[in-house]
Amino acid sequence: MSGTSERSGAVAAGPARSEAARPGEARQGATARGDLGQAGGTPFAVQAGLFFRRKMLESLRQPAWIVMGLTTPLLYLALFTPLLNALAGGPGFPKGHVLDVFVPGILVLIAFGAGMGAGWTVIWELDTGVIERLRVTPASRLALLLGTVIRDIVMFLVPGVVVIAVGSVAGFHAHPAGLVVLLALLSLLTAACSATSSALGLALRQIGSLAAVVTGAQLPLTLLAGILLPLSLGPAWLRVLGHLNPMYYAVQAARDLAAGTIAAAAVGVGFLITGAAAALALWWGTRAYQRAMA
Amino acid sequence: MDAPPGPIRDTAVTVSGLRKSFRVKDKTVAAVTGIDLVVAEGEIFGLLGPNGAGKTTTLRILTTLLPADDGQATVAGADVRRAPRLVRRRIGYVGQLGGADPSATGRENLLLAGRLYGLSASAARQRATELLAVFDLAALADRAVRTYSGGQKRRLEVALGIMHQPRVLFLDEPTTGLDPQNRANLWDQLRRLRAGGATIVVTTHYLDEADQLCDRVAIVDQGKVIALGTPDELKDRYSGNAITLTPSVPATDLPALASDLAAELAARALADAAGPAGAPEPATVTDTTIRLAVTDTTRAMSAACGLLAARGIEVAGVSMARPTLDDVFLNETGKTLRDTGVAA
Repeated sequence: MSGTSERSGAVAAGPARSEAARPGEARQGATARGDLGQAGGTPFAVQAGLFFRRKMLESLRQPAWIVMGLTTPLLYLALFTPLLNALAGGPGFPKGHVLDVFVPGILVLIAFGAGMGAGWTVIWELDTGVIERLRVTPASRLALLLGTVIRDIVMFLVPGVVVIAVGSVAGFHAHPAGLVVLLALLSLLTAACSATSSALGLALRQIGSLAAVVTGAQLPLTLLAGILLPLSLGPAWLRVLGHLNPMYYAVQAARDLAAGTIAAAAVGVGFLITGAAAALALWWGTRAYQRAMA
Repeated sequence: MDAPPGPIRDTAVTVSGLRKSFRVKDKTVAAVTGIDLVVAEGEIFGLLGPNGAGKTTTLRILTTLLPADDGQATVAGADVRRAPRLVRRRIGYVGQLGGADPSATGRENLLLAGRLYGLSASAARQRATELLAVFDLAALADRAVRTYSGGQKRRLEVALGIMHQPRVLFLDEPTTGLDPQNRANLWDQLRRLRAGGATIVVTTHYLDEADQLCDRVAIVDQGKVIALGTPDELKDRYSGNAITLTPSVPATDLPALASDLAAELAARALADAAGPAGAPEPATVTDTTIRLAVTDTTRAMSAACGLLAARGIEVAGVSMARPTLDDVFLNETGKTLRDTGVAA
């Protein structure tokens, strides 16, 4: 190493000091040297910020994903709304503009999609050794997980705001305060999905297995949450099944919030259940990073 | 091999009674079955063995990636099991997969590593620039790693491993897949690191790598250290020296000639009649050659040629081969590294 930095100098001085000192002293000296300049370690928030920056740059360098992330929800809006128009006003369909029912559903769908992709990159990073290398650093495993989670929240918020803006032009009645709380709720949902997906990726280790589990879970989770079509359209047994789905409560809360009702029981329940799911998923994901690979 | 300097040396790595097994389907596979090692500060230490010998598992336990089933391991003054965070701060690791982030640039990879180890942003920038220059990557610094060649990527990965100037650097088969020039280049870098005071532990299944790069080598097979020492010590202790002659006589005369020569050389104290424990037979005969285990190759060769000349026998060919680590491996395991399916 060319000894241009101060720390290089310190390392170069190492052997000379060892020779002069007795073994016990040498060990203490060596300990001090190893910790030089890093005694306190990097603060947790800085670590999470560094990991977030890494994941965000990775996303920004894949424009195809950004374009798809924006166009897919807009296509839903453009292609699905005409179908729903035929149902609106019918029995079981909630009152109000059809987009008032549908936009919160699309937002939940974006949140789900933004989070559930995390596992794929985790497996890719397992295969390229990136995770192994990061696990040998003193970095916090929760910070490592949060880097991806926060990136996914951003990847939900950006198309989410676009859908709200476009929907508003097409007839959606926007309630600003409710929407802010709604985006906060769905950010929690994104976090829950993202951490779950990462944990699944670390546990399954194979793209094929992850794809099977995620796509297998996607249909019942989204259908039984009443995302695209309200469950009130369905028979009683379907509504009972819906109540067993944690995402159902996020969707119920989302509809209230989109309508501008913040002080509703459904909103409280939605935050409680989604928050608990997010906490559980973050705990699971952190553990998965601690134990990753054998 | 130049020995590490200084009469008093701390130990960088101490391993005793290390064990690890894995469950594969319904069977338990023992990967490490009791490894004991001491690596001194400032040496390049090699773990040599075929694939599946337990080298990588050992390295992963020492780098806190895997918990051991049993045994003790202290790395850079900290216990691997009880103080993994302290160990992680003090070591660097270059895995088989490398682990550079392909979508980020070389510089971004280095900066992230530096910051995670607690360097300030400006210190990390300075150190990254320094390493990019040392590893001849300055021109590629701001290109995505996925555009790097194999050798360039490997150099970056070694740079990532030493970004924070670790006290002990672990490398898992660092030269696998590199062309000879890049291998030699990497060896130079590792020697320079040692000169700067770092301890280096490297796994390899290349005999010449262990021989030329490492100060000391542990030969590992089936989860155990089967031989330990400097490459020269190992070769002397386990194989002795040998000379090979190709006399111009009918093949049927070779065995008698071989035992005559062995006896003559033993009489002149140039060969041990019985040979050291584990040494090959004093004389071995193949289709056309006689191989003699000797104590001093040069003097034995001239004596053997003189004896043959005195009998009027022409010599079609001679060779004085220093034994290789492969001979050591053969002696200890009864198989060659090549037999185990590894290119040596």
